[in-house]
Amino acid sequence: MAAGTGSVAGPGPVVADFRVWPVPDGKRSVECVTIGTVTATTVSPADIEEIDEALSDDRPWVTVVWNDPINLMSYVAYVFQKLFGYDRATARKLMLDVHHKGRASVSSGTRDEMERDAARLHTYGLWATVRQD
Amino acid sequence: MRGGGAPTGPYELGWMCDAGMSAPRDDDGDVADELYRGFGNCFRRTRKGVELRLPRWEGTLLTELVRLMDGMLEPPPVDDPLEALVGLRDTAPPPPDDPALARLLPDPYPEDPLASGDFRRRRTDDALAHKRAAAHRVLATVPAPGEVLLLDDEAAQDWLTTLNDLRLVLGTRLGITDERYFDELGELTPDDERLPVIQMYELLTALVDNLIRALY
Repeated sequence: MAAGTGSVAGPGPVVADFRVWPVPDGKRSVECVTIGTVTATTVSPADIEEIDEALSDDRPWVTVVWNDPINLMSYVAYVFQKLFGYDRATARKLMLDVHHKGRASVSSGTRDEMERDAARLHTYGLWATVRQD
Repeated sequence: MRGGGAPTGPYELGWMCDAGMSAPRDDDGDVADELYRGFGNCFRRTRKGVELRLPRWEGTLLTELVRLMDGMLEPPPVDDPLEALVGLRDTAPPPPDDPALARLLPDPYPEDPLASGDFRRRRTDDALAHKRAAAHRVLATVPAPGEVLLLDDEAAQDWLTTLNDLRLVLGTRLGITDERYFDELGELTPDDERLPVIQMYELLTALVDNLIRALY
């Protein structure tokens, strides 16, 4: 995966949980999220393989908006237009997808971009999640 | 109260009912007619921007509701004293206990607790601060009866998101989890404790719908 999460095990408990995400120039950034207490650390070939696998997955990320019974249809269509610059017909079609199919992908790009889009949608009270396509 | 959707935590349905009682009743006690009368035209598009008029007691009710919501938007405490001292968050705050607050801050990674916690660590404080700032700008500008408030685009967005957040809070408190909920509404008795909350919810629905029309 181009981005994602995983963990590296030591001889005993989990050593580290990590997050991987793409950064410009085709590179990847890896951040340690939590580190367990260990006295000796060995990274096995299987761990290296897992990290390599994590780095080679470059499927795009998408922001998904889910149907909910509270937000008004006119409101949801308006927010799509306002935040993403969609024309009225496209925004309405996406809104109807959310309404009838239960969800719609409203934007795609890097994981960071999708998190920003989800956060902007949350500002408007829409139920948005982020996932890899 | 309905099973399954019953509110928990400090924000019981009760406070909303109290707020609702500040709406004056008609002689026949019918609040609904009073609420719907005159809400077709609160927000109006003009050449200068969007105008807002709240003809009677609506401003008082909205002020009360926005203040209550503002109280929900306190940032979660930072447990580590050093983190609190430097104003940084190194560990993720837990997901909100209050379902209404959880609705305002959806989990973007429902299937990945690690990524979800990391998102909360990085974004919860900003998200809450953003919502509070909008709510405070709304509170500072609620027009008195007879006054006209002129909203530029930024102010209109503050009003829109704040009114909609209030709908989400009331809707969650009412346990509105699917569209069939509204079929039940016709069967409510006049002494149903949800009634004043539903009327406030419908008032907010009318205002949000009205503002969207003015913005297009």
